Amino acid sequence: MPVASTNPQSHTATDEQHMPRRKVLAWLTSVGLFGSAVLSAVSNLVFIKPRATYGQPARFAIGKPDDFPSGTRISLDVKRVCIVRDGGRMAAISTTCTHLGCIVGISDTGFACPCHGSRFDQDGTVTGGPAPKPLPWFKLSLAPNGELEVDKGTMVEPGTYLNV
Amino acid sequence: MRLALAIASFVVLIVHGVVFYDQFFYRWERHQTAYFEQARSLSKNERERAELDARSPRIEQTIVTSFGDTRVDRCTTCHIASDDPRFAGHAQPLKSHPYSAAMGDVQRNGRWERRHKFSDFGCTVCHDGQGRGLETKYSHGEDEFWPEPLTGYVTQATWRKDFAAKLKGNTYMEANCAQCHTAEDFAGTPSVNRGRKLFYAMNCYGCHKIDGMSEGTLGPDLTEAGKKFKIDYLWESIVEPRANLASSFMPKFNLAERDVRALVVFLKSRRGVNFAETSLDRYKAHVENVAVVIPPGTAGEKAGEQLITDRACTACHKLGDRDGGIAPDLSYEGLIRDNLWLMDHFTNPRSRVPDSIMPTFRFPGEDFERITAYLGTLKTPPPAMPPADTYKTLCARCHGEKGDGEGKVAWYLDPAPRDLTKVGFMNSKPRERFVASIQEGVAGTSMPSWKNALKPEQVNGVLSYVLTTFTKEPSREIKPHNVPDQNPVASSATSIQHGEAIFLERCTGCHGRKADGKGPNSLDITPKPRNLRNAAFVASVNDRRLFDGILYGVQGTAMPSWIDYGLSKNDVGDIVNFIRSINQKKGSQQNAGQ
Repeated sequence: MPVASTNPQSHTATDEQHMPRRKVLAWLTSVGLFGSAVLSAVSNLVFIKPRATYGQPARFAIGKPDDFPSGTRISLDVKRVCIVRDGGRMAAISTTCTHLGCIVGISDTGFACPCHGSRFDQDGTVTGGPAPKPLPWFKLSLAPNGELEVDKGTMVEPGTYLNV
Repeated sequence: MRLALAIASFVVLIVHGVVFYDQFFYRWERHQTAYFEQARSLSKNERERAELDARSPRIEQTIVTSFGDTRVDRCTTCHIASDDPRFAGHAQPLKSHPYSAAMGDVQRNGRWERRHKFSDFGCTVCHDGQGRGLETKYSHGEDEFWPEPLTGYVTQATWRKDFAAKLKGNTYMEANCAQCHTAEDFAGTPSVNRGRKLFYAMNCYGCHKIDGMSEGTLGPDLTEAGKKFKIDYLWESIVEPRANLASSFMPKFNLAERDVRALVVFLKSRRGVNFAETSLDRYKAHVENVAVVIPPGTAGEKAGEQLITDRACTACHKLGDRDGGIAPDLSYEGLIRDNLWLMDHFTNPRSRVPDSIMPTFRFPGEDFERITAYLGTLKTPPPAMPPADTYKTLCARCHGEKGDGEGKVAWYLDPAPRDLTKVGFMNSKPRERFVASIQEGVAGTSMPSWKNALKPEQVNGVLSYVLTTFTKEPSREIKPHNVPDQNPVASSATSIQHGEAIFLERCTGCHGRKADGKGPNSLDITPKPRNLRNAAFVASVNDRRLFDGILYGVQGTAMPSWIDYGLSKNDVGDIVNFIRSINQKKGSQQNAGQ
């Protein structure tokens, strides 16, 4: 070290100064390297589950409430959701059979699956067939532009209606 | 050492930190958070607020399958308020998309409803840009390698500065509207309609092909111009055709900026066969619809003058002080061509000059008649002037200022103008032949007959000027060769067959297997070998000249003396019969064969 070589008289003093200086440098180095390592580790963990949206969006608009007259049950097969309107109350019920994923059709008593004969009542509760669970209800909300939005990412308790 | 290590480790930490921040703290997340906050303060009741609280930033995307390839549009990830009318007055990216009656949006009960819902159409269908991008630079297509930047909003850094500013504005998006709204008079795409009209009115169709609309072959096919080129390239190609391709001979049309824009939008909308436009009827209607406005009561000739201006003839030809620099001068047309020639040449330029590059324009017949009538009135002969000036005025455009056959328009003429400095040719021909060429013209070529424009002494003066200034050497003593005036071999099927056999054996190297003057050796030869299928030219040449040329060669050209290679007069007679036979019309050829 240049400081030590130019100051041979105060050898002990500089040595004492050196020790903390070395310690500080070593400490700084380790913080830098360790910090980098932690950041790398965190990055790798984050990359295991990237921020991405796959496929069709879970939240989509389906039109104005006026498009669904009172008392109708309209099944949107492409979106796999049935829009129910009863007076001022509206709800969105899944039309994907909880058994093996066929699209259930609308029947007089509720829903009926064409594949293995599962039957559901108007609220999606299982009344027959192999389906293990009732049809889930999706969150329905009114967007600021006046359109209804179904969010298939959020399920709500059966019997939860949106008042329009 | 330790200090350096400490500093290095800190630098690594900082770099790591920056990368980490850059990768995991997204701009769009901040935009969405800002949106949630502002929407929360705007919401009217507790339920809306609760719904907003339940939402967290995520990548929003619309997958559109209805328009061509599947599109993944993530634009609403940043532009999350695009369909929220409460954000009409906000700054981008949190601004709601404006409503417009022109786009079919309607107002019901004081509330706007969109005609093109974003959930069905996405964003890039109209706006272009990179739908999947989540960073402004990439999603807006500012990156120079992205073929479609946000149309009308983003100009890329590599675009030319002098007109980049002109490439902005909603107008350009009409090219995308026209992908679905293909109707010709669709009110939403005025620029496309205007561009389509200009495509016909400015004669673009004469040279360029667009499937279902035109069949020009001189210029590039524009059927997929919108797919291949960015708008800056299209603009540049129209305004300065030679800027990108130095060898382009597209004329400069000097269009108004508004017309250039309309053409760019129209071309940008060409992305392959447009099925609404393929029918022949529609095509014909197009051409006939392109009416040129002629003031009522104008006589035929006046109307013709107007037509020449409006049909952009002077984009190639010279007339008065306007000069396209590609095609011959029309100033003395009434003197050098008759009306029959003009009409024939209009309906099919190849009927008179077989290798002409002039497109076959599809104007209504009466337009041709009017233009012909006008050109027929151009009968003012050039004023008397010294031969040198006469040469400059009338001849230099093709034969060149230096007489070397490289005039301004020579490149576009086929056969090429004669190189008057080529001594071997010029001093081996009798003077009478040159006088005849000037006075009567050369049939089947661009050389017109000057006898009505120039008095005999003027012709002599110009010829003397050419021979002394360009050829420079005095005429040689010309011994007439011993060749028959008339072909001694009678034309018969056997004679023609024999002539063809010799032709295929001896002549195809230069004159080509089709006798069209495009044999493999023709590339290296100047002047080019004759196109022997140029019927007008072949008919104008007598048997004596053909015999002379074949037997004793043509001085100053690559044509050798075939008598040295063992062709007899009878062989040449058969070849002449063969050449004559391929230039005869079908009916008369059958007669000759019988």
